[in-house]
Amino acid sequence: MNNFVIADPDKCIGCRTCEVACVMAHGEHPLEQLTEENFLPRLRLVRTAKISMPIQCRQCEDAPCAQSCPEQAILQNGHSVQVTAGKCIGCKSCLLACPYGAIDLVVRPSSTGAKLNTVEALKCDLCLERTGGPACIQVCPTKALYQVEGSQMAGRLQQKRRKAAMGVVKVSGN
Amino acid sequence: MSGQHSAVTIDAEYCTGCRRCAAVCPVDAIEGRQGEAQSINQQKCIMCGQCIQICSGYASSQDDFYDTPRAIKLNERNMPLNLREPLFAAYYRGDFQTVQAVLSGQRFHTIVQCAPAVRVAIAEEFGLPLGRLVPGQLAAVLRRIGFSRVYDTNFAADLTIMEEGAELVKRIKTGSTLPMFTSCCPAWVKFVEDQYPDLIAHLSSCKSPQQMAGTMFKTYGATLDQVAADKVYSVAIMPCTCKKYEAGRPEMKASGYRDVDAVLTTRELAYLIKAAGIDFRTLPEESFDNPLGLYSGAGTIFGVTGGVMEAALRTAYEILAAKPLAEPDIKRVRGETGVRHVTVDVGSMQLNTVVVAGLKNALPLLEQVRAGQADFHFMEVMTCPAGCVSGGGQPKMLLPVDTAHSHRQRTTSTYQHDAELPIRKSHENSAIQKLYREFLGEPLGHTSHQLLHTHYRSETRG
Repeated sequence: MNNFVIADPDKCIGCRTCEVACVMAHGEHPLEQLTEENFLPRLRLVRTAKISMPIQCRQCEDAPCAQSCPEQAILQNGHSVQVTAGKCIGCKSCLLACPYGAIDLVVRPSSTGAKLNTVEALKCDLCLERTGGPACIQVCPTKALYQVEGSQMAGRLQQKRRKAAMGVVKVSGN
Repeated sequence: MSGQHSAVTIDAEYCTGCRRCAAVCPVDAIEGRQGEAQSINQQKCIMCGQCIQICSGYASSQDDFYDTPRAIKLNERNMPLNLREPLFAAYYRGDFQTVQAVLSGQRFHTIVQCAPAVRVAIAEEFGLPLGRLVPGQLAAVLRRIGFSRVYDTNFAADLTIMEEGAELVKRIKTGSTLPMFTSCCPAWVKFVEDQYPDLIAHLSSCKSPQQMAGTMFKTYGATLDQVAADKVYSVAIMPCTCKKYEAGRPEMKASGYRDVDAVLTTRELAYLIKAAGIDFRTLPEESFDNPLGLYSGAGTIFGVTGGVMEAALRTAYEILAAKPLAEPDIKRVRGETGVRHVTVDVGSMQLNTVVVAGLKNALPLLEQVRAGQADFHFMEVMTCPAGCVSGGGQPKMLLPVDTAHSHRQRTTSTYQHDAELPIRKSHENSAIQKLYREFLGEPLGHTSHQLLHTHYRSETRG
């Protein structure tokens, strides 16, 4: 099973530090070089009256984004789903397909000489190329973010089932 | 005019209510419920700007919408209208547009001063490593931006030591109010005025280096340049947001005019440099102008916690012990601990000193003083966690991990600068000696008293 990063909404205080860390991890920009246009985190804070938490790619096993991509720019890679930037044509199918809204399309206006815009589908890549793992997890002041290892999923479920069984034992008094 | 407006504000439209700012606010001035937009109690706020440094609530395109257009926000903040960086919820109202207009006009003889902590931070705004020491490029860029005179707050820091050192020695010898508190940090001064008015007599009567410099520019400096004081426009570049408030305090007009007309933060200076289209990285190294730009190592360490104490001790030792101090490095007062007690043997007596980094750490000591149980003679307090190098107007670090690193790097560079300067003690600065010979007379003398010392207010201000 794939790995993924997820937040605990009970711990999240909505400070956006994860978003900032994501931008920094993928660009190493000092603030002075950042603009509103290139400030593009791959996870996005959602705030409502009752809840705040960042939403990011769930690294689906049968990823709808990958299924919908006509260029095979999104592929299963090890224990995650990754975008090959150069292959993206900006068709937006993945944006429509993703049930979590976890993909953004970045359109960079054509530079001098080139006729067309450059595009890239942007989503959480689990900071695969970063030593130390996902930057968002490291900076969260309340430790609200964590990585779920797909390989440990079976164990987690097993534990929960054991716990559930113990609960039943208590109720039945045996 | 900077000063009397509330310098530090939280923009309710961008605030996510995470309350991390409330955790760093030394005076618990940030009010609001978790998850809701916060507001600053301006009665309590001392404008240190630490909330600005920690804020990560930026204007995200993901939020439903913001009612107020960005251009209006930039105007409210007095920032460059073409600024493209993300805007954060906690901010200070700047003076960028004001100073830019003065510089582009021809009406004034503009004199600029630059705080010690700016020369170890401004380079960061141009992609250079954290804490890069650039005094030469700083002087060069200020000249190219168009200031008529490029003077230095470091000079005035040396001047402060002359006055404050003399004041400490006098207080000890005459048995007047002790312990004496440093008065360089305007946030600390405002805090004592607001919260501990009964201890005001403990504050050194010395103005801060910024205000001493401003006064000198419009008196001695104006005479040197043969211009009328009312034609001088005095600008201070500071790592601090509270310095804007200090410059605007009504009593700060010893020269007969506003001693400091405008204060820009380190970040605002970077905006000016970029607006002028100057490539900071390729600038040659130049010197600050003589005589009010000449400084000793003691002057430059004012920018770090323990620095004012160390600078003062280098001079006070030689007065009290009546012999030269062989080793100017007094490393025992340096460090990162919030409260550092150091006893110095000055021959005739044991001088007990205490250095406080981070305003909250001063509270137990103030209670000791109030109870008459303080066993020290001299206390330095800087509101910000590592001193001025970590001020609210310094380049903003986006991530907490960089914050601590930047403070260390800037501190290291400051001590390196001190170690490499030919003169290490304020009283050995030849420009200071000349200023006393030609203009001021002696420390604590009549002219000094008129121009370099101040009084504090105990009434609660709005």
